[in-house]
Amino acid sequence: MSDTLAIQYADDLSGDAFLEEAREWLKANVPQRWRESRGALSHAESDAIRREWDRQLGRSGYTGISFPKEYGGQGMTLRDDVIFHLIAAEAQAPDGFTRVGKTLLAPMLITQGSEEQRRKYLPALMSGEEVWCQGFSEPNAGSDLANLTTRARKVDGGYLVKGRKTWTTFAQHASRCFLLAVTDPNAARYRNMSMLLVDMSAPGVHVTDIRQISGATHFAEVQFDDVFVPEDDLVGEKNRGWHVAMKLLENERGGVESAARYVEIRADMDLLLTSCADRPELRTELTALDIRTEIVRWHLAKVLDLIESDSPRLGQAVSVLKLLWSELWQDVTRAGVTAMVPDDREHWLYQFLESKAVTIYGGSSEILRNVASERVLGLPR
Amino acid sequence: MNALNTTTPTEIGELATEAISDILRRATGTSNICHYADDFSLVPWASLADSGWDHIGIAEEGEEAATLRDLAAMAQAWGERLLPSPFMETVIARRHSPAAAKWDGPVTFTLPSPSLGTGTGYTPFAGFEGIGRVTELGTGSGAVVLPSGGPTDGLDLALHASTTEPVTVFSPEAARETAVVYAATAVGSASRLLRMGIDYASEREQFGAAIGSFQAVKHHLTNALLAVEQAETAVIWASLDDDDPFRPALFAIDQTISAAEIVTQVFGGIGFTWELGLHYYLRHMLFAREIVVGLEKNP
Repeated sequence: MSDTLAIQYADDLSGDAFLEEAREWLKANVPQRWRESRGALSHAESDAIRREWDRQLGRSGYTGISFPKEYGGQGMTLRDDVIFHLIAAEAQAPDGFTRVGKTLLAPMLITQGSEEQRRKYLPALMSGEEVWCQGFSEPNAGSDLANLTTRARKVDGGYLVKGRKTWTTFAQHASRCFLLAVTDPNAARYRNMSMLLVDMSAPGVHVTDIRQISGATHFAEVQFDDVFVPEDDLVGEKNRGWHVAMKLLENERGGVESAARYVEIRADMDLLLTSCADRPELRTELTALDIRTEIVRWHLAKVLDLIESDSPRLGQAVSVLKLLWSELWQDVTRAGVTAMVPDDREHWLYQFLESKAVTIYGGSSEILRNVASERVLGLPR
Repeated sequence: MNALNTTTPTEIGELATEAISDILRRATGTSNICHYADDFSLVPWASLADSGWDHIGIAEEGEEAATLRDLAAMAQAWGERLLPSPFMETVIARRHSPAAAKWDGPVTFTLPSPSLGTGTGYTPFAGFEGIGRVTELGTGSGAVVLPSGGPTDGLDLALHASTTEPVTVFSPEAARETAVVYAATAVGSASRLLRMGIDYASEREQFGAAIGSFQAVKHHLTNALLAVEQAETAVIWASLDDDDPFRPALFAIDQTISAAEIVTQVFGGIGFTWELGLHYYLRHMLFAREIVVGLEKNP
């Protein structure tokens, strides 16, 4: 037994047929090229594998695990969904491009969309055929999302969308976008916008890559020049888009994403522990990071239990989840890059630079603290 | 079964926790801990004994014993008030010692600590009326003897621990469980301090507004929330991990100390006064830390 500090967590899946099968399926289907030589793949190859993975999940039935069956899901629990994502990440499965669509768009259409919208869009999302991107942030509307100015002007049969969105994840791969735009310029803040479903191949859509400090281009700016959106592609009530969006954002600040992040952080921690096993001066720091990593996992388990028991303590527990893993990840990647392990130099530089974004997107740490202090702790606004 | 453990106490654990919270709330209400920390008669032992919860750690008459997870939940509730009563000590003692289980009255033990010389340890509530001191835990043998008295240690003002008794022999399992229970009390104390900090920040006004409306204070208290949540999660982990609960237990206590420091800061000058009472909880956390370290090193 090596003298690494890695903690082995309980891993007993006996008696659970679904997960046993899932494990077998993952073992047989995670592309070998991805598993073994991901670092050597070109962007084009990597993208192709990720797109195909979305389709594979669709074909195999490992998609929409916690969604209702009538919408192409498996009708299982959130816990099952989270666990599947845990074991998929452990099997080093690719992260496809449908995560935004599956974790945000699908729940939104299920709870707030029309039956027609569900029928029209869910099948292609579940099958992995269509990738969705999220058009919320703008150059002048980040933390202050309500400040957005993209306009959807009423015309015969629908709307013409004009404006610019930024930080749009996967825009380069997306065929559709769910977007917030002002539909009543005379109304008050929060009551002036609507949620629209936009065809990214429609005339007037221009996507420009945003290059990150790590060198990757996961994000884009999207310019909309009088892009036509049919009436039927407005979600919920007109001018109630803010509320549609808030409901959607509440839906996913934990669960599936945290599970995926935990596995990534765990993998990075394991790398660090193994590569620095002979560095006693780093032991204290790495032990602390190791414990914090397992805390994320246990905290996720605690959140799932609180969801299942409908506990009043849920809000408090969920409010810290993203803060926990995002700040931890920055600490882990900083430890990695400052440990200066020659073999892993490129890996840690990439991870460290990429991690700068995690305390900003999905709610910046400052905003999340403000929200927690007011909504969870009840401090005066 | 699944790859994410269940973190909730059993039904009996939930019931016991609720009952204890109730007893503590009724006894201490909004009282400042300074006023009741020396009052051994605040909740008479007889009434606690009547409840029967002091036997919850033992399997009795076809009923299962509470799990360590259950005990942690109870201890967390206990830590919110730190009633000067050897209830949690008695629960642990009865669970791990047949002699203690039979003892009619409260039971304590003597804890090892890096701050005392080899051989002697801290005996919580050594001066409590009718208390016995168990000589072994988890070994299947040992006896309950009368404590011999002596000076009380000045760190944890709620625990009234003497410093001159020989250390109780702890089996590895008893040592692990005791460590987790004390860590859990620290979590409860941190929860209580956070609540006090929020209440204070919501009322105290400066510059024409409640200080809790200022972002710096909001972020302080949210960081305290982060610490409390992590501490609770860590104790849950410790209570369910057979392998090495000491690491998460110690981590938990360190988080509670951070939370206490933040809340002390939020209270401003008043936080620095003896009579506010915040330090009683902080002292207990520091003591719990010593105990966990001492039990981990346990021979």
